Amino acid sequence: MALQCRLSGATIQSLKMATIPISPSSSRFIFRTTPQTLNLALFSRHTPPKAPPFSVLIRALSAQAVAAAPAAEISDNKVVKPQWKAAIDFKWIRDNKEAVANNIKNRNSNAKLELVLELYDKMLNIQKEVERLRGERNNVANKMKGKLEPSERQKLVEEGKNLKEGLTTLEEDLINLRDELQLEAQCIPNMTHPDVPIGGEDSSKLRNVVGSPLSFDFPVKDHLQIGKELDLFDFDAAAEVSGSKFYYLKNEAVMLEIALVNWTLTEVMKKSFTPLTTPEIVRSSVVEKCGFQPRGENTQVYSIEDSDQCLIGTAEIPVGGIHMDSIVSESSLPLKYVAFSHCFRTEAGAAGTATRGLYRVHQFSKVEMFILCKQEESDMYHDELIKIEEDLFSSLGLHYKTLDMATGDLGAPAYRKFDVEAWMPGLGRYGEISSASNCTDYQSRRLGIRYRPSESPTTSKKGKTNQATPKFVHTLNATACAVPRMLVCLLENFQQEDGSVIIPKPLRPFMGGIEAIYPKSR
Amino acid sequence: MAFQCRLSGATIHSLKMATIPISSSSSRFIFRTLPQTLNHALFSRHTPPKAPPFSVLIRAFSAQAVVAAPAAEISDDKVVKPQWKAAIDFKWIRDNKEAVATNIKSRNSNANLELVLELYDKMLNLQKEVERLRGERNNVANKMKGKLEPSERQKLVEEGKNLKEALTTLEEDLINLRDELQFEAQCIPNMTHPDVPIGGEDSSKLRNMVGSPLSFDFLVKDHLQIGKELDLFDFDAAAEVSGSKFYYLKNEAVMMEMALVNWTLTEVMKKGFTPLTTPEIVRSSVVEKCGFQPRGENTQVYSIEDSDQCLIGTAEIPVGGIHMDSIVSESSLPLKYVAFSHCFRTEAGAAGTATRGLYRVHQFSKVEMFIFCKQEESDMYHEELIKIEEDLFSSLGLHYKTLDMATGDLGAPAYRKFDVEAWMPGLGRYGEISSASNCTDYQSRRLGIRYRPSESPSTTSNKGKTNQAAPKFVHTLNATACAVPRMLVCLLENFQQEDGSVIIPDPLRPFMGGIEAIYPKSR
Repeated sequence: MALQCRLSGATIQSLKMATIPISPSSSRFIFRTTPQTLNLALFSRHTPPKAPPFSVLIRALSAQAVAAAPAAEISDNKVVKPQWKAAIDFKWIRDNKEAVANNIKNRNSNAKLELVLELYDKMLNIQKEVERLRGERNNVANKMKGKLEPSERQKLVEEGKNLKEGLTTLEEDLINLRDELQLEAQCIPNMTHPDVPIGGEDSSKLRNVVGSPLSFDFPVKDHLQIGKELDLFDFDAAAEVSGSKFYYLKNEAVMLEIALVNWTLTEVMKKSFTPLTTPEIVRSSVVEKCGFQPRGENTQVYSIEDSDQCLIGTAEIPVGGIHMDSIVSESSLPLKYVAFSHCFRTEAGAAGTATRGLYRVHQFSKVEMFILCKQEESDMYHDELIKIEEDLFSSLGLHYKTLDMATGDLGAPAYRKFDVEAWMPGLGRYGEISSASNCTDYQSRRLGIRYRPSESPTTSKKGKTNQATPKFVHTLNATACAVPRMLVCLLENFQQEDGSVIIPKPLRPFMGGIEAIYPKSR
Repeated sequence: MAFQCRLSGATIHSLKMATIPISSSSSRFIFRTLPQTLNHALFSRHTPPKAPPFSVLIRAFSAQAVVAAPAAEISDDKVVKPQWKAAIDFKWIRDNKEAVATNIKSRNSNANLELVLELYDKMLNLQKEVERLRGERNNVANKMKGKLEPSERQKLVEEGKNLKEALTTLEEDLINLRDELQFEAQCIPNMTHPDVPIGGEDSSKLRNMVGSPLSFDFLVKDHLQIGKELDLFDFDAAAEVSGSKFYYLKNEAVMMEMALVNWTLTEVMKKGFTPLTTPEIVRSSVVEKCGFQPRGENTQVYSIEDSDQCLIGTAEIPVGGIHMDSIVSESSLPLKYVAFSHCFRTEAGAAGTATRGLYRVHQFSKVEMFIFCKQEESDMYHEELIKIEEDLFSSLGLHYKTLDMATGDLGAPAYRKFDVEAWMPGLGRYGEISSASNCTDYQSRRLGIRYRPSESPSTTSNKGKTNQAAPKFVHTLNATACAVPRMLVCLLENFQQEDGSVIIPDPLRPFMGGIEAIYPKSR
């Protein structure tokens, strides 16, 4: 047994070795996971990514190995959670030290594997000692049940008292050690798919190219200029009312947003995804469990004052949380969701990067796909997600390429990430318009989402059915439509010499049949 | 001249009497305006409103009087604003003391009119004294320009120094007094339309009634039950992920939201409204200027940590702000906007009130209409807005009534407010689904939005400079076109069928792929 995460209300039960009870302490847990890069948050990739110099030199261990490790047991009872712990498989990490170390190195992670293993060993030793002392204390207690000389009893009372004191101290140490271990271990990124190229962002591997840059026989404008001429947005008023990088959409841009969202939902629903709208204010703990960092300097996350809540940077967070702390039935898998939400990002530290117009903004509408599936199926669904994205962008007539992102460009939760970069003629470069990640069990081990495999249940002697041990689901997320980036693409690619912009055919039925946006006569 | 609000960078100019320069002090201005009741925030009106016992006993002064007061002059220069001041017409308030007092009383406002007038008088006196001292100081300075005996010069230097010290002290007092005056005066609510019934919410007057409650020959369910059976929302997961009163919409409810928003925008655009999406994070000052209270206990407003920003409770705020601190051309009026946004409300203090299901939630989608117009046209556009609302709800086949809300139910900015309450058979009562308010110049005096009347520019001054007409404050109006969750309550509860399905109203079908009903999913 690698790790058992058991929540116990008031007393700490240590039922077996390697059990990690969660302390009921209410001290705020300091969370230091390497933050997941918010989709669309990073990618000033002006140069086209090159194939890695050698096909793939080092391959990290497959995360299937993680999955193959014994599933952790978690108490099914929901209790008050003063803090949360990830169900990290420490034993597997210890047993696969080399692979984990390589993976950390390849991903430029600052996780401290040596420290984690050291803390884990210490923790196991203290745990043993606690067990031993508990045994002794029970012995003493049993001895006291019989008839005893007063002096003998006095001796036992004394002994029991000493044991209890020693135990209290050790148990406190154990709690602190476990907290420290969690803190450090949560920094360890997910393992990496063996096909992912090793290296920085330049090493990302081209998977697919569709179309070619449209040629224009007139000087192309960027989307800001087009939007200004067609009265499609207002950044100036938004700067006064809200701050820089906020905007109002106006006129046809509003209808274009609604058409994009509506069309995308409709198309993705055809693939059996359940549509959702989500809360956009969530508990900070859920943000953390999805692998994002809601506090600290340079956080991408807006926090709500005087609360433990924050704004979502992506619908991945509330959709990931929809099955939090539960065991879903195997037959319900895969659970496929397509969620529409507004997204909010501080873009701290993004000053100076490509921030023109709608390209990088604090608030935007996004349609996000999310899949919860069995462990052995996540690679397949990852391919399905990127296929859906590509089909959507092809239908709109965009020229784009799809990349298998290199290790150095992966956020902590991603086992593998495919990005789509579309040609933006006004900006004169490719820009990321979507991203599809397989997070394997990284998020589900934090969110506590498992399924019980439906192997034929064995019946024990007592007539009680022994169900199969639950396993963590795999989670995947992928952008179906990030509206502002899509507006950049549509306006810049489909601009005409007369100043109008042609609406792609698939969107027309969703915006009252209009075929183009024309300059307004005033 | 009643009031002049002039922003001056470093020095304080006092160009004429009754000028109120804004202090460049960076001390945070404490704002205490009576909060505007966020639309939909209040209305546990279970009993149908009664007509007031006597038609209308007391009528507050028309806000047209406010309008008739000389328009304030505001510097056109945009400068850094460490704080903001409303262009309140103190002279008009003083000259219409009785009407203002009656208005404050009938609106149950806790504004302190006596204190405002006392501070205003004090401020005027202090201002005069400052003027006098400045004059003396200038005299002394002029005297020193000539040739003087050293002893005489020394005397003048001494005199000038004393005057300067006295002036500095008085000017500081003046700044403080002005801040205090603003602080108190901002609590004064808008004046009230003469036709508004005086009294508490029970006094609200029925304006219109459309349709009648649908009769059901089966046991009606409330929207929560229907939503559960049709798998349309998830409150339980949202409670874990976000907190209580949050929700996920699922399946056809998502498509219904999209259809409602799309259809509503389409219909309202036909009336010449410009569609918008808006920022949902705005500066707290803009929230204040629209008449809401972003801080303090029981605020309805979510604030962003470590910033001066907060989340909008209604698109009224960012749309009101879109022309902030500007003079729009008269020919551009009316400016009609229809904005789609998500809205966020803490619903602090709403515990125990009607909070079942989708009725009162922390986050929702809303399509909001907003009009900037000339002062003399706001009553007309108020009628237009309520007409649009009624037409929309009638098209959907709802039974509803429209109320002219009584004085006690008006938020500080509203001169008059019409509410629409629709029948919700599952909840077994009428519930507010929309609201249309005429805020006259309450918001524009805070947001600084004016227009320059296009009377033929009359006099040409000696210097050949054309004297344009003095700018006037626009009037602002806001009205809900579609608050999605309340509309979902109405549609699900009114159009439920005995077989568990829910019929989609005809106008929405083209916007949700032509589906005619939501049927129970077979599992």
